[in-house]
Amino acid sequence: MSSLSRRNFMKLGMAGSALLASGEGLKSSALAGTMKLQMGGKDFSPKTGSERKAIPTACWSCVTRCAAMGFVEDGRLVKMESNPASIRTEGKMCSKGQSGLQDVYFPDRILYPMKRVGERGEGKWKRISWDNALAELGARMKKLRDDGHPEKFMFHYGRMKASSSKLIKSLFLKGYGTKTIGGHTSICEGGKWTAHELTWGGHYDNWDFDKTDFVLNFGSNVLECHTNHIPVSHRLIRAKVERGVRIVTFDVRLSNTAAKSDEWQPIKPGTDCAVILAMCNVVLNKGLYKGKGEAFMKFVRATDNHDASVADKIANLKKHCAKYTPAWASKISGVSASKIESLAVEYATAKSAVLVSYRGTAAHYNGNEAERACQMLASLTGNIDNPGGRCKAVGAGWEYPHLPKSSKAPVTKGLKVTAGHPDKGHPQHSAFPSHGMCQSVLKMIKSGHAGRPEIYMWYCYNPVYVNGENDENREIMKTIPYLVTSNIVYDESSKLADLILPDATYLERYDWEDMVDPNQIGEHYIRQALVKPLGESEDFGDTCIKLAEQMGFPLGVKSKKEFVQKSCDMTPGVKEAGGFAYMQKHGVWHPADKKPYYYRYKNVIPASATSKDGVIYDDSVGVYWNWKKTKAKSEAEAKKTGYTHTKNAAKGYVGQKIGNTVYEVFKPDKIPKTGYLELYSALMKEKGFNPLPTWMEAPEHKAMGSDDLILTTYKVAVHIHSRSSHRKWASELYHDNPGWINTKTAAARGISDGDRIKVKSRISEIETTARVTEKIVPGVIAISYHVGREESGRYGSGKKSPLGHDNDPDLKNMWWKTHGQHPNFIIPNTPDPVNGQQAWMDTVVKVTKA
Amino acid sequence: MNKSQKQNTMIETAGQRSDIYGFLSLIFRTEVTETLLRDIKERSLLSTLSDLGVNFDEDFLSKPEDALIEDLAVEYARLFLGPDKHISPHESVHHERDGGDWGVLWGKSTVEVKQFIETAGLKYKEKYSGMPDHISVELEFMQEAARYESKAWKEKKNEEAVYCLKMEKKFIEEHLLKWVPVFCDKVISDAELPFYREMAELTKSFMEFEKKEINKCISEGKKVKVTTC
Repeated sequence: MSSLSRRNFMKLGMAGSALLASGEGLKSSALAGTMKLQMGGKDFSPKTGSERKAIPTACWSCVTRCAAMGFVEDGRLVKMESNPASIRTEGKMCSKGQSGLQDVYFPDRILYPMKRVGERGEGKWKRISWDNALAELGARMKKLRDDGHPEKFMFHYGRMKASSSKLIKSLFLKGYGTKTIGGHTSICEGGKWTAHELTWGGHYDNWDFDKTDFVLNFGSNVLECHTNHIPVSHRLIRAKVERGVRIVTFDVRLSNTAAKSDEWQPIKPGTDCAVILAMCNVVLNKGLYKGKGEAFMKFVRATDNHDASVADKIANLKKHCAKYTPAWASKISGVSASKIESLAVEYATAKSAVLVSYRGTAAHYNGNEAERACQMLASLTGNIDNPGGRCKAVGAGWEYPHLPKSSKAPVTKGLKVTAGHPDKGHPQHSAFPSHGMCQSVLKMIKSGHAGRPEIYMWYCYNPVYVNGENDENREIMKTIPYLVTSNIVYDESSKLADLILPDATYLERYDWEDMVDPNQIGEHYIRQALVKPLGESEDFGDTCIKLAEQMGFPLGVKSKKEFVQKSCDMTPGVKEAGGFAYMQKHGVWHPADKKPYYYRYKNVIPASATSKDGVIYDDSVGVYWNWKKTKAKSEAEAKKTGYTHTKNAAKGYVGQKIGNTVYEVFKPDKIPKTGYLELYSALMKEKGFNPLPTWMEAPEHKAMGSDDLILTTYKVAVHIHSRSSHRKWASELYHDNPGWINTKTAAARGISDGDRIKVKSRISEIETTARVTEKIVPGVIAISYHVGREESGRYGSGKKSPLGHDNDPDLKNMWWKTHGQHPNFIIPNTPDPVNGQQAWMDTVVKVTKA
Repeated sequence: MNKSQKQNTMIETAGQRSDIYGFLSLIFRTEVTETLLRDIKERSLLSTLSDLGVNFDEDFLSKPEDALIEDLAVEYARLFLGPDKHISPHESVHHERDGGDWGVLWGKSTVEVKQFIETAGLKYKEKYSGMPDHISVELEFMQEAARYESKAWKEKKNEEAVYCLKMEKKFIEEHLLKWVPVFCDKVISDAELPFYREMAELTKSFMEFEKKEINKCISEGKKVKVTTC
């Protein structure tokens, strides 16, 4: 039989068509009916067959915040799926998102305001009315504000994004006057963002898997738990399955991402930086930067002279990287020199290639330098902000109602407890804590160095559990005069509170959302309440509106829903599409005619922009900037102080002069870098660090004994870090976290699979079970987060919460009796000295048989 | 090619693929009828088939119609029905699976095929007395799927058309390619008359073509995909 060419096939089709049209084709056929393809967005009751009510909304399980669809039957939320109209998720949803509905109905949920009546942590509570709760909290807060000490009200948050962040921070806390506001980013991935702010300005990198030809992954478990999980993970799978894109993953552990990669490169913890620097060495020595890398270097600063030629830049980097040979990196990392070299060549010569990095690389003492090294490797090969490369992320921009002028705080102050210790050399100091230092907040409060809050309030956050040194956290919290939280779950921290407010779940409230779009376009989407808040629970945003009203600084909106509605009705694009009504119906919107953003750094700034009133030129860095947008009091002062050292100078950035042209290049964000992608950072040099990406070994690792191991941590696919163990589906799937230890490492200690073991660090000791496996490098023990809960309800900890009910029939079906062991008890709160990132993966421990 | 031309190509390609599946389904559905035989002979199909390398013998072309239909009916029964050793035209008999769950009628594959087809919104006719995974049914399903896809392209429901293509790919890869080539090889080997041998060759060849074509279609389909908001 000759091969069936397309042309012949067309002919056969036409001939077949004529034959079928004769009617013969319909005789005796087996199938009837009409095909109906439903691309999601609909669901039917298995009991009645009737269609369930589908409401577009947004997930909030992890920070990805996917556009979602909730299905409601008889007033009860019964199922979560993705919104098929979303260009980010393309109709996909992970297991965390699907189990989200159990946030609403788990039997240990906090449904009423609760006031502590026993000792802190004793577990004695009484139910109080909302009126009494707000009266008590409002009176305490108002007194501090009226006394001119709003800073003594500290607010500390975990997940708080988009409209929730704007309403609570930019309206409520601004109107109140406190700047004592802590985030959680430094215990998450803040260090990576700071490294980005030092190099290419704003944070978030998008990995363009849809267009890439090669993926080089350092320490990201992207298929299980990335910060933009489903939008990128399903694209990575598609790249692999449909286009055969090669993926190479460096990881201490055979994560599911490593397992699905073409190659898993086992690597010693904290040594990614050395391998990446060695890859830069290979690229420079083999001349692989020539072509697109060399062209990109025009937009890079790589020497102490901002006006240096590309040849000088390359020469300086070559000189700097000369010592970082593959043989040198091999000794440090355990990865063979030939492999480092071949992968560097493969990465550099791919048509386009994505360099992926995440907490496995960034959450170390040397994480800042590892991430800067990643930027160097990507820059040298021209894989920056290009189709198929490492791109500057694009999210959706929203307009929103601002705080009424009449509600402006009379006094605005902050306690300097949120960004570590100011003294260089102090263990809790870092040079550029641009995302705060969450893990040192309680230590700072304990020291009293920068004052102590009277009221400590936390939201969507669990300070005892999620930072290192859990025991110390608990003891410090007990010393704070007044503790209050808004929460859905009784956890390790809320059990210490004086007052617990029952928060609505994310499925019972409104928000607008803006998370990164892998299409490089930007998608606007909203969250809307699928059901009424259960019991007396209330969206904390609404609580803030009430508290502000009570204290005499109304926020200008009567509800969070109104805030979201007004935002939809005033945001360009969304407004024209139909505003809030459109978003309620569809859930998502994006500009259909917008092209993906790439190569923004090439945008030329017109002369009209550089000649505007207030714009001056600083020839020491080659930057045009508008001094009127900064804290400078006069043009003369601005010129004298210069761009780099004027406060808020980055806000006035206009463009970078390169040759005779002014480019947009890479705008600075929190750190006043120049417009260049700065591989050479004068700011780093000023703080006493090497200005170019440099190998730094963790001091703890230098001092390791032959019997010591390194403790690393990781996330699993079915859990959120600390907010999902109360969900029965999640905990049924994952409720125990034995320590992974390599066969040889275990044998040397007489440890067999399943043995009880002790893991001891310099601060504390825990006992857990050994999982002896070849899926981890020797010299390491890996223990996941999520479990080992002291509280969080019966599904997570086995303990009933105060005021929990017994009306969930699945309580009788709960078959698991183990709840794991949390590793954070033994992890010291130690920052990356450059950016303040908690060094989660560096703890030195001894492991012995229990 | 401009956008409109690309859209037309997608409409036509899906339509042609649907018709080929329809033709092959008809061939395996039952014994050759008088009408089908006349259609094959009279509707210029012979020359197209000839271009594809399909060679019927002199008997097929010149034997009296009644006698030829009788011969083909005997061959159909001998090959596909029995009572002696025959080649069962059902997926569950040929689709090798881990754990030995194959080689039987109404096996795991049968259940999967039935579920797949019904999930796509189609039903088995009440009067259909065969099994859900008969080769003619699987080919008929693909005929319907590609027809649906063609209609979606025509109505500019491009997202839906690509979605349908992905479903077709899934069915081709998880079912047709798992057994039809093997089945065809057996028919080619056992056939005594050229008609079924040549049809089996054609079917096998079309499966090979589809294996590559479906990925091409998806890739091209995505390029003309119009994102709606």
